[in-house]
Amino acid sequence: MSTTVIPAQALPVLLTGPKAPLWWAFVLLLGIESVVFGGLITSYFYLKQASSNWPPAGLDHPELLLPTLNTLVLIASSAAMFYGDRSIKRGSQTGLKIGQTTALVLALVFLTVKYIEYSGLPYDWSTHAYGSMVWTMSGFHAAHVMTVVLKGLVVEALVWKGYFTPQRRLGVQVNGLYWHFVVVVWIPLYFTIYWSPRLF
Amino acid sequence: MTEFVVAEARAAAAPTSERLWRTWDTPPGIIGWFSAVNHRVVGLRFIVTALLFFLIGGLEALAMRTQLARPEAGLIPPELYNQIMTMHGTTMMFFFAVPVMEGLGIYFVPLMLGARDMPFPRMNALGYWIYVIAGVTLYWGFLTGQAPEAGWTAYPPLSQQEYLPGLGMDIWATAITFLEISALLAAVELVVLILKQRAPGMSVNRMPLFVWAILVMSFMIIFAMPAVMLGSVMLALDRLVDANFFDPSAGGHPLLFQHLFWFFGHPEVYIIFVPALGIVSSVLPAFVRREIVGYTALAVATVLIGFVSFGLWVHHMFTTGVPLLGAGFFAAASTIIAIPSGIQIFAWLATIWSARRIVWSTPLLFVIGFVILFTLGGITGVMVASVPLDWQVHDTYFVVAHFHYVLIGGAVFPLFAALYYWFPKVTGRMLDERLGKWNFWLMFIGFNIAFYPMHHLGFAGMPRRIYTYLPGTGWQDLNLLATIGAFLIALSAAFFLLNVVRSLRNGAVAGNNPWGAPTLEWATPSPPPPYNFAAIPSVRSRDPLWSQAELADAEPGAGDPPHPDAEPLVVELRDDRRETVGTSTLDGVPESRIVLTTPSLWPLLVALAIGLTFIGAMVTLWLVPVGAFLTFVGLAAWHWPSNRGYEL
Repeated sequence: MSTTVIPAQALPVLLTGPKAPLWWAFVLLLGIESVVFGGLITSYFYLKQASSNWPPAGLDHPELLLPTLNTLVLIASSAAMFYGDRSIKRGSQTGLKIGQTTALVLALVFLTVKYIEYSGLPYDWSTHAYGSMVWTMSGFHAAHVMTVVLKGLVVEALVWKGYFTPQRRLGVQVNGLYWHFVVVVWIPLYFTIYWSPRLF
Repeated sequence: MTEFVVAEARAAAAPTSERLWRTWDTPPGIIGWFSAVNHRVVGLRFIVTALLFFLIGGLEALAMRTQLARPEAGLIPPELYNQIMTMHGTTMMFFFAVPVMEGLGIYFVPLMLGARDMPFPRMNALGYWIYVIAGVTLYWGFLTGQAPEAGWTAYPPLSQQEYLPGLGMDIWATAITFLEISALLAAVELVVLILKQRAPGMSVNRMPLFVWAILVMSFMIIFAMPAVMLGSVMLALDRLVDANFFDPSAGGHPLLFQHLFWFFGHPEVYIIFVPALGIVSSVLPAFVRREIVGYTALAVATVLIGFVSFGLWVHHMFTTGVPLLGAGFFAAASTIIAIPSGIQIFAWLATIWSARRIVWSTPLLFVIGFVILFTLGGITGVMVASVPLDWQVHDTYFVVAHFHYVLIGGAVFPLFAALYYWFPKVTGRMLDERLGKWNFWLMFIGFNIAFYPMHHLGFAGMPRRIYTYLPGTGWQDLNLLATIGAFLIALSAAFFLLNVVRSLRNGAVAGNNPWGAPTLEWATPSPPPPYNFAAIPSVRSRDPLWSQAELADAEPGAGDPPHPDAEPLVVELRDDRRETVGTSTLDGVPESRIVLTTPSLWPLLVALAIGLTFIGAMVTLWLVPVGAFLTFVGLAAWHWPSNRGYEL
């Protein structure tokens, strides 16, 4: 029987996208996270339908202006991240630096505004179940933004070391993947927390 | 094989095995022990640790059965009984059943796929350390008198601070959340492994059925475990920082916990059971000397079970006042799952029926025991799926009988089949057949004596989770019988331990393929070298070590049959760093070399940091940001790329 040999050099080592195990692992991580966020939103509506008093009496509808602007800031960070990823794909270190740094700054702005917004709330998690839900949803999401900021800082350090190249950019790619998820998942949370009390 | 041809046939410069050995070996010494990452080391640690928990959970069961052997026995006071009962359920479900199946997956799937290791070896080690820390925390609480006592389901309001003050429930809520990280890490890793690292030529329709089962199990973990984490985090928040998720007086709802718990809890049963199905389908062919009947039907049925199991959870909640229309839907879905399960049973029966020759070894006995017991458990499952019957027997011993038939019959029997079947691969020694048969028959008879009477006790109205009962209830004789059965099961476990010890000392040497089995894990020495395969095998059929002609004659154990289908393609890999072949997701065409990580202490350190985050929360909340920051530092150091020369 003849034997076919594939020499080592014929198979690449630096991988991106669906060829890379790490890319798949991140996709699965997003699956896990989606279940958690989905569970939070479901819990919110479960408690809402079980309660005659949601949000509790005496509480105004959540303020809209600041959170909406803040949501736009977060979405802009995703665009910056996308720009950085596309730049390194085309070999532009400068574009990568601009994209990564802008995204980090915007995420920090989002966290600061969030801190200001929640410092002013008349209730906390121990006041009532509505407070528990809102604080947990926002807090859990904010923890994710903090995570992508910390993770982004590590990637940023590598960016300034010039570690990434068009071939070696899996780190940027999966960091972007997770970043986009944290941004996108905020949108249903935003509608649940800020719009659903007005709509139903 | 032309589809794989990249360079035409030339002499394979086989890497020297000594260099490979050096590259893949785990470093010596204590630090080496704590930094081991190879999948077989971590997998075996998972299996052994889980079996240890099985032993502990079993001793807890014996304690309960001793207390229940006669009415008003005063051996165990009620609080302690509740603690032991909770620890038994928690241990068996969270610390034994899921980790042991993950351990089997981590150990054997790479071997069955012809891979040298899993895609993220350090993540494997991280998962193991998290599992150990969670287990130690839970049992440290139990031994210092701070044990949970609300059952393994931990329903509020009983599990709330005002009814169960003290650390016990806090430990449960945090340890369970923490432990599920371990399960999720293993699940992600197993899915990526199965999708990306199959042997060249192993398209998805050539994967061994055990691999299919582990794939389905992993996806189920990914979509089910987060729900229980959410539930246990909410419980911890209610208890530790006065949140109100489950407190009706503040707008919360205790049933929310039940929904979150059972959205995980029902798939959980199948997370345990699906790998057992895979074990049966993979063990059977070697002992009936033919390929499995209905491969495609079995694979599809496994996937269907995975899907449908997510639509059943409310059948645990029929008595909580859910709307009848909803209950009707979940009753129908619960009945539907009998269809894919039935397909599997009939495929196995057909395989046994059409056997070329039946080899009556211990693994086969456990498989047949499984088919009988699981069918009985499945029938009572269809019974309790109907709402009126469930109302009648809910929270009685009928349910205890049902789920022990499904879990012990459906998962522990296949597990023992797997232990007897794969023990030679792990150790290089055979387990003794005579002791194995004692093991099987004592377990089979003991199991039925212990659990069959519980059906009747349930019909007679005996509630579950009671620490004693009055004389004159008529439950006395059957309870005594159940206790005798429990001790028979314990005796059978003792035979197993004896068998393992004796075999490790002077068991018969196994050779590569003692059962004459068809899958790739038998194509390498027993125990395999640290790199698994000197050359990555490639496959052209589902049963690469069998060719049709030799099937009829091959004697199990009579040397190693040739495997012509396993050799036509050689992928060159470097032997001075850890490399394995990456293949395409569906067809198994080689497309990359995957460079794997080396042994490291970071997984242990990061596991300790994550442990500090979760367990510290019970002491003071300030430890949460401290632990989280240490986790970040650890992860950053772990992944910093300077030590990996990634040149082409």
